[in-house]
Amino acid sequence: MTEKKREVTVEVIDGGPIKITGRIVLKDLKRDTEETPGEIYLCRCGRSKTKPFCDDSHNK
Amino acid sequence: MERDKKSFSGGRKYRNDDITVYWKPDACVHASYCYRELIEVFDPGRRPWVDMKGSTTERIIEVVDMCPTEALSWKWNDEPRNKNVGPEHTNHIKYRRPELSEDNEDLIPEEPVSVKIMRDGPVVIKGDFTFIYSGNRKEMKAGIISLCRCGNSHHLPFCDGMHRKTGFEDK
Repeated sequence: MTEKKREVTVEVIDGGPIKITGRIVLKDLKRDTEETPGEIYLCRCGRSKTKPFCDDSHNK
Repeated sequence: MERDKKSFSGGRKYRNDDITVYWKPDACVHASYCYRELIEVFDPGRRPWVDMKGSTTERIIEVVDMCPTEALSWKWNDEPRNKNVGPEHTNHIKYRRPELSEDNEDLIPEEPVSVKIMRDGPVVIKGDFTFIYSGNRKEMKAGIISLCRCGNSHHLPFCDGMHRKTGFEDK
């Protein structure tokens, strides 16, 4: 509650990825990982080579 | 979708013997869980569009809890029972619309937001967060949304199950 970047924002970027900032727990059921990153960009077009993260493939 | 002429900003209420369901039309983002799951109760083509006789109380609660916004919420008619409703019931009024709740001094859990990448499926985000898309900004309280990752949903940015039909795979 005291940390600054605690509040979580989930933003769907038009024509781009999902940007998530703040205090989250990221679980990936396929890779079987659990992380607590500060900021992530998730692929929304299905074409990224680094899924679940965006690699700008939507621009290609 | 055609707007119900008799609707007003505060929305409408629908009751059966056990529960009251609140409908707030302005909050609807047409994620479509309600009528896909339970058209017998939630039929956008009918007036009134909610028929509380269409299913069981348990099933209506289950489907109202799927609504990713505060468009649909619910409470027990037997007020004391509302105190014991847990946060898994995301759309109970004390989590979704505390302004409708009799006791406001709640217990919204201060937990980190869970972001779950489903196996070859959507990303499911759960908790308290600000959700921004297409110029909308919504404060989610103990909310849950499921966002498309395959790019083929007909209800973007939300998942509508198309990943199964298209055989979407993570790698």
